[in-house]
Amino acid sequence: MLVFDRAAVRRHRDRAAATLEPVRPILEEAAERLIERLDDTTRRFSRALDLGGRGVVAPMLRARGIATVSADLSAAMAARNPAPSVVADEEFLPFAPASFDLIVASLSLHWVNDLPGALLQLRRALAPEGLLLASLPTLGTLDTLRGALMEAEMALSGGASPRISPFPELRDCAALLQRAGFALPVADVEEIRLAYADPLALLRDLRAGGEANAVRLRDKRIPPLALFPTALAALPREAGRIAIRLRMAMLTGWAVEKP
Amino acid sequence: MTDPAPIDPRLLEILVCPLTKGPLEYDRAAGELISRRAGLAYPVRDGIPIMLPEEARTLDP
Repeated sequence: MLVFDRAAVRRHRDRAAATLEPVRPILEEAAERLIERLDDTTRRFSRALDLGGRGVVAPMLRARGIATVSADLSAAMAARNPAPSVVADEEFLPFAPASFDLIVASLSLHWVNDLPGALLQLRRALAPEGLLLASLPTLGTLDTLRGALMEAEMALSGGASPRISPFPELRDCAALLQRAGFALPVADVEEIRLAYADPLALLRDLRAGGEANAVRLRDKRIPPLALFPTALAALPREAGRIAIRLRMAMLTGWAVEKP
Repeated sequence: MTDPAPIDPRLLEILVCPLTKGPLEYDRAAGELISRRAGLAYPVRDGIPIMLPEEARTLDP
């Protein structure tokens, strides 16, 4: 079943390439937490793939002395990456087997329809004893916004359409890694807490980061005028600010010889 | 027309056709990566290979 409209995902990322600066600190924080995991292993890496790193991940890997190739679904986003950079679809990866010994996908696999297939292809692109580091938003992310939008839409129009992407549960993530043939699969959670004084800034940031709604069954009609104001006003506040959780599933898995 | 920006040689070693996972031929003058098996030519823009079938040119049979 196709959940996401990949053409929309690509459009959103194209657009986001020009608007990314304000959300760069969030992307950097998320990428740092993922790449820090390299310190837990004594293995040294020399050729990495940065998948969907939005110009943030590749410089971090290079700073560690790792030669890095970047890939993104959007040409505009790919152009933000330092060379060598490739435009590629996560569901149809263009890399020969054993091309890399490290793959880093920082918050970039959550708009993929066929996640098991993408993970399988990523494993094949890894050399034996290669490492996959991936983070994706997991259940709990934007949960207050999801709830507020749902309730506001029910109240206004008697129905609700998906406005926040469905996020996987943590245990599903580990199972997916295992099914894709990764050894020693581990999935744990890290949380980034964001506080917004102006709820509209949250929506602006999501859009700026290329994270606008790309669910295929999304309601493409213009939403009722009162929907967003009603929902945003209903968001719980802490000390006057809206607290938003970005819960990230941090996935690690090793490629093994001919699994 | 000026010569298109060439591909990083490191990419040529690892890129394959996303559909067939088969080998690619690099036509430097045309700025294309050709997959004979898929019958597609993937464009290279500003040194960035666009490895998307929907962006590729269909080869004449």
